[in-house]
Amino acid sequence: MKRHRAIILTWLVGLFPALAAVIAVPWDQVAGVPAALNFLGRLTGIGGLGLMLAAAALSCRVPGFDKPFGGLTKLWQLHHWLGAAAFFLLLAHPLLLSLGNAHLSLDAAVATLLPPLASGAVWLGWLALLLTMGFMASSFSFFGKPRYQRWKWLHRSSGLAIMLALAHTFYLGRTIAAPWSTLIWYALAGLAVASLGYRFAFSRFWGRRRYRVQAIMEPATDAVELALKPLDRPLHYSPGQFVYLTPLDRALAAGYGEEHPYTLSSAPEEPVLRIAVKSLGDASRALQHIAVGSQVSVEGPYGNFFPETEEAGTTELWIAGGIGITPFLGRLRHLSNRDEPVNIHLVYCVQDRSRALFIEELEELAQNIRGFKLSMHYFYREGPLTGDFLRQCCPDLAERQAYICGPIPLLALARRDLLAAGLPGHAITTEEFELP
Amino acid sequence: MKKFLFAAFVAFWSAVVVLVVLDALVPAREVKGARETREPISEAVVKRHDNREDCWLIIEGAVYDITGYIPEHPAPDFVLTSWCGMDATEGMRTKGYGRNHSDAAWAKLEEYRIGELEGAGG
Repeated sequence: MKRHRAIILTWLVGLFPALAAVIAVPWDQVAGVPAALNFLGRLTGIGGLGLMLAAAALSCRVPGFDKPFGGLTKLWQLHHWLGAAAFFLLLAHPLLLSLGNAHLSLDAAVATLLPPLASGAVWLGWLALLLTMGFMASSFSFFGKPRYQRWKWLHRSSGLAIMLALAHTFYLGRTIAAPWSTLIWYALAGLAVASLGYRFAFSRFWGRRRYRVQAIMEPATDAVELALKPLDRPLHYSPGQFVYLTPLDRALAAGYGEEHPYTLSSAPEEPVLRIAVKSLGDASRALQHIAVGSQVSVEGPYGNFFPETEEAGTTELWIAGGIGITPFLGRLRHLSNRDEPVNIHLVYCVQDRSRALFIEELEELAQNIRGFKLSMHYFYREGPLTGDFLRQCCPDLAERQAYICGPIPLLALARRDLLAAGLPGHAITTEEFELP
Repeated sequence: MKKFLFAAFVAFWSAVVVLVVLDALVPAREVKGARETREPISEAVVKRHDNREDCWLIIEGAVYDITGYIPEHPAPDFVLTSWCGMDATEGMRTKGYGRNHSDAAWAKLEEYRIGELEGAGG
């Protein structure tokens, strides 16, 4: 419920300027089709910019800030939705204003859309919209999915787009009377600037911790687990959280100095930080060969997969797919250290046994932790995960809290099966490794 | 969501292209300064047009009949009508709180110009 409150609050902050505009405009001013179109045109502009600023304010990535939203991946989803809504409104904005003048003449409508060059403020708006199209096209894969680093670079132009849009609004904005309009935009822009300031100045220079690669394990083919020794303050985290890791080994084939998110597979009380990395892209492939003794920087922790309070004896069903085993592994290692009885059933889905990461350790943990049961699901043998399979290995699944982590098709499949098996939606927690 | 936004993106550019092409194909109507008189207008004449139904303004030495524009103005009527029959340069330059109207607004104003003010020179 807390999560819904945080989400609603964010939408309200983003829509606040638009709500203020609705309140500020007397209704008799928007009577008639042209006036209504003109007002909607202004409202979509105001709404779009407000939502863009709210999305920017969410991108601060302050450790802990993501918790009320249900973790950083959920926060990114909200950011994604805010961006989508903003983009849609901003596309409608110039067209509605133009249509609002169509009753004067076609000339007037087109001149509203594409005024003489001397109308600089309108062209600032156009520039902002074109930049927005540029980075939105990559975020929403209009022309194919861009590479992570390329997308990241493109996404930075959003800062410039927002500044241009704000200048455009300060010049032309007249819907909300001064000083309110100035106050509202300054407050929202201030929030966005503080948030991006944290992200690109504070966190970059003071928020990251230095670690050294102490050892590299190979839990399966195409995957490594890095053991990292802190060089200064060690990170405090809960099992299953993740960090942004930046390797600083210049000999790497790719990804030097680039940050990527990885789940922590260690237990919080361990002296080293452990991160399991599966070879999935250029950067993670290169990380398989990172030099022992090289430095990395770590920023975090993020995520809110498992609830903060661990009650002994909670009955849980875990479903992991491939590298999605990492948050569960971190929690299992933690539970093994605590040596308390649990009631947890893990269904681990992989293609075949050779692809199962940490399989020996998991089997050992299943022996050692009282009340922990491991079931393997082999895709090549059993086909896609089914509700029948889940019920067979875990008959009381409807009474359990379910946690699912893995590729998106598996998340969707498992969620569908669990809902069909009678588990309520609020008892299912998922962790995505990528945005849908 | 991706498909919806892509559709909106394509629709946006289609609409822009259609508007521009139509504008190029349809012959333009003369609007600007169509009603402009040759004779300068005196302040006394302007003063007679001082109400919502017949509203003339003096702005920077020129005279404008903005009666038809009042319903389109973004701010409430009285913001404009209180200037009817008077020199409204200040209103145009400051909006009442020190912020100038946009270039677009100044350009739009020219559509309502009906002549020079007597004694304004040039």
